[in-house]
Amino acid sequence: MKKGKKNFTIVSVRRKVFLGAIVAAAVILSLGSCRKDPLNDMTEEESQIYITNRDTTADFSSYTTFSIVDSVAVAGNGDTARRALTDYDRQLIAAVKSAMQSRGYTLVDKSAKPNLAINLTRIDETFASTYYDPGYWSGWGGYWDPFYWGYPGLGYYWPSYYTVYTRERAVSIDLLDLQHAEADKEVKVVWNAMFRGAGVWNSGYINNMINGAFNQSAYLKK
Amino acid sequence: MKRNIMKLINVKIWILAIAACLAVQAASAQVRPPLSFNFNYSIAQPLGAVKNYSDKTSFRGWQAGLQYMLTDQVGVGIKSGFQDFYYRTPRAVYPTKSGDISAVQTRTLQVIPVLATVQYQFTKPDAVVIPYASLGLGVANMNYEKYWGMFVDKDNSWQFMASPELGINIPFGKASPLLFNASVQYNYSPYKLAEITNFSTIQGNIGLRWHIN
Repeated sequence: MKKGKKNFTIVSVRRKVFLGAIVAAAVILSLGSCRKDPLNDMTEEESQIYITNRDTTADFSSYTTFSIVDSVAVAGNGDTARRALTDYDRQLIAAVKSAMQSRGYTLVDKSAKPNLAINLTRIDETFASTYYDPGYWSGWGGYWDPFYWGYPGLGYYWPSYYTVYTRERAVSIDLLDLQHAEADKEVKVVWNAMFRGAGVWNSGYINNMINGAFNQSAYLKK
Repeated sequence: MKRNIMKLINVKIWILAIAACLAVQAASAQVRPPLSFNFNYSIAQPLGAVKNYSDKTSFRGWQAGLQYMLTDQVGVGIKSGFQDFYYRTPRAVYPTKSGDISAVQTRTLQVIPVLATVQYQFTKPDAVVIPYASLGLGVANMNYEKYWGMFVDKDNSWQFMASPELGINIPFGKASPLLFNASVQYNYSPYKLAEITNFSTIQGNIGLRWHIN
């Protein structure tokens, strides 16, 4: 009789513990997601990051002249890169040009053998079918047209931070060393700026982005 | 004959076991059943390296546990919970290996502890206010997500955690199975990731304890 009662008590305890565990699990599942979502209230400006990388062996004060592309390359989504000159592209070219001039470099025509060349690329991987993301810090090698700068015979040196990735839109500025191209038998990318995040193709952010990238690259001056 | 003796011993063991169980139950069941469930709302303040990472008090947390009173004043149990730390920095420039990144950082950390607890109550269970001290030892799931703009650095791992706690239980009536609970606990974990060199927070809990059996 006593034994029976004891068994009944044990079963009843087990049942309550079991029910308690179910309630606890339900509570944990429903409340575990009560975290604050970082992306929920993020503005376009807050979502943007400006990444700059440089060749640490380059002496930026040794260059005097630069030239810049007359249109912006648009790459991505598996397409062959094409060139474009939208209002955004004009503003981007103008902003980079004046930032370089304010750092003491002289703008020359590309036929005048500039020390530095600047490539601009808009990257659109929003509809790419392949997805590979080694990390936010890596750059995307801007579209490279060797014929544009007149060094079709040389190999190109891409620093290790260049990796293809992303499912997004981005903007890239590449600074190429033409001064040492003949001697080194390669065209080196000595500085790169990448703009990633929402709205980087919106011209309202151009000044912010260019100023940000140059401000954080104090070494980039004549 | 031998078999009969064995049978007798078995019966004796059974009776002793039942008697022991009943005695333990009777001792604490005088006031309320030994098994209890608690649920608390939690607020946590980061300290030390966690404060440097995410300098904002967290108001998004809770805690739940099961406890069994072995005697009138000593209980053992398990507890779990959740705490969400969140802090957004203004735009700043962070150096990298060969350059810099300018970003608005959103630094978050979600902590889910799973701890075994032992609790000592300083008064008998029929007191109006029952102060106690407890120690929780176990593991915690650390979910680290640091956003650079909209891009995230993520890491999820389990770490050792220790949580000493001081609190009070106030029964709703002398033998009520329902008690008001308030406590303060310190959480420590030797958690190391990026800027976090160890994890320490101080946490306040408020809630209910219910003796179910």
